[in-house]
Amino acid sequence: MRRKIAKFAAAMTMSAMVAVSLAGCGNSGNRASSGSTDSVVEKKEVEEQDTEPLKIPDAEKKQDDAASLAEDIGQPNGGAQVRLWHYFEHEAKVLNAVCKQYNELQSDIYIIPTFISREELMKQYTIGAVSGELPDIGMVDSPDMASYISLGVFEDITKYLEGWEDLGQFYEGPLSSCKDPEGNLYGLPNNSNCLAILCNMDMLKAAGFENPPATWAEFKQVCEATSDPDNGVYGFAMCCISNEEGTFQFIPWLYGSGATVASVDGPEAVSSFAMLSELVNNGWMSKEVVNWGQGDALNAWIAGKAAMLESGTWQIANLDGEFKDAVTWEYQYAQFPASDNGTQATVIGGENFGVCAGSEYAAECVEFLKFMQTAQNNAEWCELAGKLPVRADAVELKDFWTADARYKVFNDSMEFSVARGPHESWPTISEALYKAEQAAILGEKTPEEAAAEAAQTIKPILEKVPLPE
Amino acid sequence: MKLSMAAKKRREGYSFILPGFAYMMIVLGYPLVYNVILAFRDVNVKTFKAGTDVFVGLNNFVTLFHDKTFLLVFRNTFVFTIGCLVFQFTIGFIFAMFFSKKFTLAGPVRGMILVGYMMPMSVTAMLGKNIFDVSSGLMNDLFMKIGLIRAPVEWLLNGSTAMAAVIAVNCWVGIPFNMLLLTSGLTGISQDVYESAEVDGAHAIQRFIYITLPLMKSAIASVVMLGFIYTFKAFDLQFVMTSGGPLNATDVLGTYSYTLSFTQYEFSMGSATAMVLFCCLFIIGLFYLRVISREDD
Repeated sequence: MRRKIAKFAAAMTMSAMVAVSLAGCGNSGNRASSGSTDSVVEKKEVEEQDTEPLKIPDAEKKQDDAASLAEDIGQPNGGAQVRLWHYFEHEAKVLNAVCKQYNELQSDIYIIPTFISREELMKQYTIGAVSGELPDIGMVDSPDMASYISLGVFEDITKYLEGWEDLGQFYEGPLSSCKDPEGNLYGLPNNSNCLAILCNMDMLKAAGFENPPATWAEFKQVCEATSDPDNGVYGFAMCCISNEEGTFQFIPWLYGSGATVASVDGPEAVSSFAMLSELVNNGWMSKEVVNWGQGDALNAWIAGKAAMLESGTWQIANLDGEFKDAVTWEYQYAQFPASDNGTQATVIGGENFGVCAGSEYAAECVEFLKFMQTAQNNAEWCELAGKLPVRADAVELKDFWTADARYKVFNDSMEFSVARGPHESWPTISEALYKAEQAAILGEKTPEEAAAEAAQTIKPILEKVPLPE
Repeated sequence: MKLSMAAKKRREGYSFILPGFAYMMIVLGYPLVYNVILAFRDVNVKTFKAGTDVFVGLNNFVTLFHDKTFLLVFRNTFVFTIGCLVFQFTIGFIFAMFFSKKFTLAGPVRGMILVGYMMPMSVTAMLGKNIFDVSSGLMNDLFMKIGLIRAPVEWLLNGSTAMAAVIAVNCWVGIPFNMLLLTSGLTGISQDVYESAEVDGAHAIQRFIYITLPLMKSAIASVVMLGFIYTFKAFDLQFVMTSGGPLNATDVLGTYSYTLSFTQYEFSMGSATAMVLFCCLFIIGLFYLRVISREDD
């Protein structure tokens, strides 16, 4: 008997060890207290002309104690506490300033922003879809929004936005990423960004090139002339890591070839895989790019290990900030080169903010989103955080998108930029793309095989639910 | 009705195990049952919110065993586990025997080896990632300086070398673990046995084969079984060091289950993968119990 009990206990313990280490879905929990619910104060209509320009608190301030947090986001205003989760890093202080401004402007809700790393935030949303443990407002990478809408992470806020005239000012691309297939809205886009080529002009000029490459052929010539693989110097650096960042950086090459996600096994798409594998095979790009995130690729360029970098709008802020002293050479941003058939493409990135399902303060949260995304606030936010605006009338309020040559490259590139999705199965599509890209780069598969394997996963998905035109 | 003394004692015994049993049922049993239910349904991004998921029987398992990636991951898990066990057990045993000798600073040095075991796995994985980096890694630098290699080895870019690197890093943690358990087994063997064998003319290898190994049988069985369970359900090392790459070459069942559930939102497929992992460990666990109970007899 004793042995039987011992056996049973051991078996249970072992089961538990496995279950605990793997089961991600916990039991349902209560939503965290949202503070004083009885302090409903008369709602103030927030008009953009009432708002003052954003004041950014000292960047060195830490948020880990209540006093400094209150200094960053404003003293408690007596409103119900509303939790906002985001993964902004260098932009966090600007976001805090927006929250502070709103917290001081009204007293219905008191917004408390919390930074959670991107990977962890995605996991928390997924777990939250099961347990109900979600914040009131959540930030999400735009291509992931469709999946989270499907999972029920975000609340349908269409009714709160009905009659809001400003909605017509939003660009269709970013706004569509906040919608479900029926056209219902679950959030508002916050910013846009895209990719361009950042050139170390000292290296290019030393190799005999006065201007950044305009075509794929020129691009290869520059790569060849600036590469010195024996000394760890390459013509080009990009991110090909096995996550969404890898797909994000691959899309300009795929669409630039004239292909689309839907035609991933066509000859144009094969040429895009071939282009990247050629860069590696010729020693013009390090194979290590398969382990590099976008930050790692930037670090390689900053260290002088790459002449050209596939760089995002937000990295201008890095160049002006932490890397200001490290970049001792002349640099220039350039649009993506055009492929042999003359096609030019880049990819739209950006973040959306949505109201999470089950929030007791959905209406109040939508008011905050509307405030955050007024033309004035969107323009100021984008200027301070180094982003591109998501509404047409915001562009007219500032001139840095056209006056600053660097931003102008990105702003002009938006004309031929491509959105990812929206599609509820985008994560699966994305995985197929970055795995094919890695297989081609590592030489595990020929470009044709890599393209065919990606199509094997992607085509059945798109046959059921096609990507929007 | 008056209870007999034995029945009373039995009831008392049950009352003692009740809190622990209830705790396990609520805290550990629930997620396990939930996982089993998920594995037999088709919960994914499309069916989750609508609640349109249905019972699909063994379909998820059939799909998994027809999936090339899963089969690779399944194979990887065994390669990783067996690779780790062979090296960490052999080296751990040698270290245990070495440090069971009494020599100057034997204790402190043995303590230092344990540092690897005490380090959080995510930190160890980060160290591994840096050590095996192609351009700036310690391993390539060292090998090139001593003339072992001419060009840097692409450790984490090549499937087989990436697996070797992950195994090596795991052994760094596994060796002290094995050494610790085997040392306690060795100290249980009386020195008298060795002395009398020596008097009878047995040399070192004979003493090891005919005395050490038989007397260490139960300790060895425990170390191997626990090592297998501990290694088979690895997650954090691969997750941090290689993210399962390149191209799933170092993906194991734990990381693949996570990817399916949290990246692809294929919750049922993720749970089915977890169930495969669980079943493998359950079989090993039963085998372990059998070995232990035979030892008891």
